[in-house]
Amino acid sequence: MTATLETSAPAAIGEIPSFDVTIRLRRYLPESEHGEESYWEEFVVPVHGTDRVLDALHKIKWEHDGSLTFRRSCAHGVCGSDAMRINGRNRLACKTLLKDVNPDKPITVEPIKGLPVIKDLVVDMEPFFASYREIMPFLITTGNEPSGERIQSAEQRERFDDTTKCILCAACTSSCPVFWTDGQYFGPAAIVNAHRFIFDSRDEGAEQRLEILNDKEGVWRCRTTFNCTEACPRGIEVTKAIQEVKRAMITRAF
Amino acid sequence: MTTTNLPTQPTLPNPRDAYKRLKTTRSNFELYGWVFMRASGVILLVLIFGHLFVNLMVGDGVHAIDFAFVGGKLTNPFWQVWDLMMLWLAMMHGTNGVRTIINDYAERPLVRLWLKIALYVAFVVVTVLGTLVIFTFDACPSGAPADLLPSICS
Amino acid sequence: MQTHQYDVVIVGAGGAGMRAALESSGQVRTAVISKLYPTRSHTGAAQGGMCAALANVEEDNWEWHTFDTVKGGDYLVDQDAAEVMAKEAIDAVLDLERMGLPFNRTPEGKIDQRRFGGHTRNHGEAAVRRSCYAADRTGHMILQTLYQNCVKQDVEFFNEFYVLDLIVDHDLSAGNVPDGETVNATGVVAYDLATGEIHVFQAKAIIFATGGAGKIFKTTSNAHTLTGDGMALAYRRGLPLEDMEFFQFHPTGLAGLGILLSEAARGEGGILRNGDGERFMERYAPTIKDLAPRDIVARSMANEVREGRGAGPNKDYVLLDLTHLEPAHIDAKLPDITEFARTYLGIEPYTEPIPVYPTAHYAMGGIPTNIEGEVLRNETDVVNGLYAAGEVACVSVHGSNRLGTNSLLDINVFGKRAGRAAAAYAKTAQFRDLPEDAAARTIAQLEEMRERPDGERVSDVRTDLQVTMDMNAQVFRTHESLTQAAKDIRELQARFKNVSVQDKGRMFNTDLLEALELGFLLDIAETVVVGALNRKESRGGHFREDFPDRDDANYMRHTMAYRRPLDGTEAATALAEAEQGDIAPENAFTHVSDFENYKVVLGSKPVTMTRYEPMERKY
Repeated sequence: MTATLETSAPAAIGEIPSFDVTIRLRRYLPESEHGEESYWEEFVVPVHGTDRVLDALHKIKWEHDGSLTFRRSCAHGVCGSDAMRINGRNRLACKTLLKDVNPDKPITVEPIKGLPVIKDLVVDMEPFFASYREIMPFLITTGNEPSGERIQSAEQRERFDDTTKCILCAACTSSCPVFWTDGQYFGPAAIVNAHRFIFDSRDEGAEQRLEILNDKEGVWRCRTTFNCTEACPRGIEVTKAIQEVKRAMITRAF
Repeated sequence: MTTTNLPTQPTLPNPRDAYKRLKTTRSNFELYGWVFMRASGVILLVLIFGHLFVNLMVGDGVHAIDFAFVGGKLTNPFWQVWDLMMLWLAMMHGTNGVRTIINDYAERPLVRLWLKIALYVAFVVVTVLGTLVIFTFDACPSGAPADLLPSICS
Repeated sequence: MQTHQYDVVIVGAGGAGMRAALESSGQVRTAVISKLYPTRSHTGAAQGGMCAALANVEEDNWEWHTFDTVKGGDYLVDQDAAEVMAKEAIDAVLDLERMGLPFNRTPEGKIDQRRFGGHTRNHGEAAVRRSCYAADRTGHMILQTLYQNCVKQDVEFFNEFYVLDLIVDHDLSAGNVPDGETVNATGVVAYDLATGEIHVFQAKAIIFATGGAGKIFKTTSNAHTLTGDGMALAYRRGLPLEDMEFFQFHPTGLAGLGILLSEAARGEGGILRNGDGERFMERYAPTIKDLAPRDIVARSMANEVREGRGAGPNKDYVLLDLTHLEPAHIDAKLPDITEFARTYLGIEPYTEPIPVYPTAHYAMGGIPTNIEGEVLRNETDVVNGLYAAGEVACVSVHGSNRLGTNSLLDINVFGKRAGRAAAAYAKTAQFRDLPEDAAARTIAQLEEMRERPDGERVSDVRTDLQVTMDMNAQVFRTHESLTQAAKDIRELQARFKNVSVQDKGRMFNTDLLEALELGFLLDIAETVVVGALNRKESRGGHFREDFPDRDDANYMRHTMAYRRPLDGTEAATALAEAEQGDIAPENAFTHVSDFENYKVVLGSKPVTMTRYEPMERKY
């Protein structure tokens, strides 16, 4: 065999056949003739059995309409760029296999809700990150730094393991009906990241974070609808984390 | 490749509205509110089912209810306190619940304000009237046939 | 157009960029410009761990780590840099822990460590537990922790700004700036994706931390956004790129998709098997078997497949077997990668082996720097005020093959060094005037691309590039395959002049940016192929079937690739016709390869050796 014939990527596993899907997109192109109106547009694209929604979007962008705009980067669910509303549920486009979302019917793809839309599926993430920054998402300690590592038992580490998984994709926050109303609620993601530090045995800033989240727009606005837990692409038990923060506040107050 | 332009959906509420967090509040009000809802809920369960049990199940049950029965209860200090607690807790629990719903669903600040004003007015009117009734109820109105009055009137 | 002035401007907000920002922002006015939100950076995809000789679980020391790094890089490593990295690794890990990174813990509550490919005790005796980790999301935790600390320090970010030009006070691209002349970097030009506006940043010091260029290949573990922007900008401005022919192929990418499954899977006991169920690594690396360095494992896997021992219906992949491990152990140590197998291939790793195949993973080469992170413009001269760190840079600590976990180390150690050096320099330096038309070139380039009438699609050219690179410049390379790749790239460069974008808008025009990124990819691919054609030996990640042995006599030097204008004196030959004749040390790096209106001139740089004499690399 000559090297020029070196095989490239192997074929998809399991031999799932190709099929056509209809993607129904909510478009918003303020610079186009549609102006400030958002509208629906449908595309039919041929896809493979193992393709994800992101692959279909790429196919549309690369082969049909270059103006289709969305964020994406890693394409395997760790960077958190491509959270969108797929068939009414918040998911990462790169983690959602087309065959899992009933490709017989048109698949609707919309921007996540509750954040200002900039163009097509791209929303302004600034309010989301502003809430995140407000809860002081960093280790707060007092006294001198140790010369080695801080000691923490495996159990203490386990206590907040779940909430360290957060990739800040905003799928949870933008699935929360309370957040949709006026965007004032801190939102699940900010609380999850506060949880990550409140329950870290090395951290000494729990008091301040609880104070911040005791706000009118803090944890007390959570209605435990579990939308956030369902939306989290990392499988974080978001609602549980919020309840744990509430419990910490109550034990602190009484 | 087929591309179809579909009829425009209702416009998104101005998609480029700037973000601003309104004034923050740092008090325990919401915390106490949250605890109150749970505590009052539990107490209300006891009060309401106790009320229903006494009114509908004990003795002749629902057939026993008449002016005399109600009047009799409202002259008894135990039932006065019971009913008063039930009234206040239910009104506060309900009002706070509706306040939350207004916060969750009313998007415009002005709508929110008016709905809350209406809610609080309703709360005050109902609570004041109810309280007055509990304490000023005349179980023995003069001139009423004796067989309709509770036994304490004679 | 807007102009800004900062003491230090950092381009890129991945691990290296943010680590540098944490150093410099406390001292001087610093801006971080990033084409993504910082937490989207691909550092977050790193899984396995970060090696440091903490000796928390067994005997270890940084000298062994240095040796492993040098040997792993097939002796093309600059040994002074490797020493610095291995020594400062310990502090780098402790720094991160103190910043809050939630490492997994030993029963005593210290940072836990596990085995990793190529990391050994006492110069190769046996695998050692050196990799500090946080489940299989160490990179995620590093990225989050660094971002958290940037929030804490109130670092100024310009998110979703694409840097499209580097401004230097001499025109280096002509190649006529004499050695020894002082050259200063003065600023960068950036494009605000949201508005389409141009921003000019004047800076005393600039740090490039833009990451890799994996998207030159089709099968890659890299993000869509890893398009070699920083490398290509430096290259276009006349700076050399070092050792670009060395590209790492990670052995365990999900077959067909390229999504990475960490080496930690093998560190925790996973075994590679061919279609016959044989543990084939026993034949290729009898001592450390599945934990051999990545280049060896990747090549062994590719060899199994092409000799017909692959698995699956088309016999085109091998299997990563975790089925003998306890499900609880897998859940505790490898939760994410098992989820990848479930999500993307529908494979249950508890009971079924996972189909894997090598995937393009890491560029060992990049912008040459010294151990302070200062960028070199030739063998010896630095560009004042220009720094590079992370995958975009070539220090060179990875030589011809990077050891697993050393990239997370690289970004932390050299990110910190570059940040410190840049801040120190900025304190002493003055702002230098920018040319009046600093942004003119960038604006012209953007407008030209935006307004170009109907032409070829960006994606078609990009796909053709990726296919030819996968086909001809991947794990196995020959003169013929590389010549083919060079020919294809020349054609693609020509086709690139005719690509057009559909989206003509100003706001959030990702169509336009993808076109520009394609230009960067083509330039990077060109340096990879030209370097690979010239290097007639096999070393680390670069394997030439026509020259299967390492050739220290002629090639124990770093390749430096420069883009220079044509001056009419070139022979009309391209590398395609390059001689197969005698190679001698004096002509090993004298190649020139012509492209349409420029040429790629190769040079070399000596490898720094301190304690380790090159030996045969066996595991």
